[in-house]
Amino acid sequence: MALIFRLSGKRFGQQMLITDKSGLFNFVRPVTLKAKPALSEKEEGHDERNMRLKRPQSPHLTIYAPQLTSMLSITHRFTGMALSAYAIALGLGAVVLPESIPHYIEELECAEIGSSCISAIKFILAFPITYHFWNGIRHLLWDAGKFLTIREVYITGYVMLALAISSAIALSAM
Amino acid sequence: MALALFLRSSARLQALPNLSRCVQFAPSSTSRPFSHLVQQLNKNPISATKSKVNVIATRGMSADHSKLWPIEKAVSIALLGLVPASIITPNPILDNLLAVAVVAHFHWGLEACVIDYIRPIIFGPVIPKLALGLLYLVSAATLGGLLYYNHNCIGIGCTAF
Repeated sequence: MALIFRLSGKRFGQQMLITDKSGLFNFVRPVTLKAKPALSEKEEGHDERNMRLKRPQSPHLTIYAPQLTSMLSITHRFTGMALSAYAIALGLGAVVLPESIPHYIEELECAEIGSSCISAIKFILAFPITYHFWNGIRHLLWDAGKFLTIREVYITGYVMLALAISSAIALSAM
Repeated sequence: MALALFLRSSARLQALPNLSRCVQFAPSSTSRPFSHLVQQLNKNPISATKSKVNVIATRGMSADHSKLWPIEKAVSIALLGLVPASIITPNPILDNLLAVAVVAHFHWGLEACVIDYIRPIIFGPVIPKLALGLLYLVSAATLGGLLYYNHNCIGIGCTAF
């Protein structure tokens, strides 16, 4: 059927449209197919797509039991953020504060808050550094493709925790 | 579709023998373009996978990360040596190197945090971009502040000690 229309379309379509009385050829017209390159998909991020589709966010942290692996990973990020805050505070403080940084450190040392309190402050400053340092080595070893079995991940995790806490205590005792 | 195309062109020729020949040849000529494509893909499997990776990368938040990644890791490894060295033997060169490496390292780290947590689906389309811009500002200001501190004061290494 389609073949007949196509065959007739090119040559006789125009004449038939003129002579057509029934109006049939107004509906059945010769069709020309044209090949076009496919339009590339619109670039859209994961979130943008989900927003457009009005999808809710699925629960993530709240549905998992806390494990050593995930907790160490989160702590790594958290200590990194804390260290960034220290660096930003030092960098901006050096410019903005009216006195120099060593002045404030001396003031803190001279203030009568007890040596244990000073050690506690030192530990709070030192622990993120030691933790991020040792766990950073662990992450770099993973990036090199080593210690990637679950057993090794747990062993290195405990070793790293011991190293981080002991070196933080050593630094804060100094 | 290809069949219809051939039929149409044969209609132009208005010759029945030609039409039958075209129909006969149609299967071979339709399969040719596809097999041609497949061969090309098989010839260059690396480029094929590479382009696929690129598509995935552009669909995420960040662009192609494969060149920056080794630099990030090199800075991380450098920091493993720089941090203890500048505390044990404080000197201006190590302090300045440490300042640059620390700022680069925390900038990339916080950038990942901003992209992970300040997301368009939670904060809308504008705030994530503002947050990233603010991070660039803070990182630049911190770098300036730390270098200023190294030049005009005792330096990072001494402070830590």
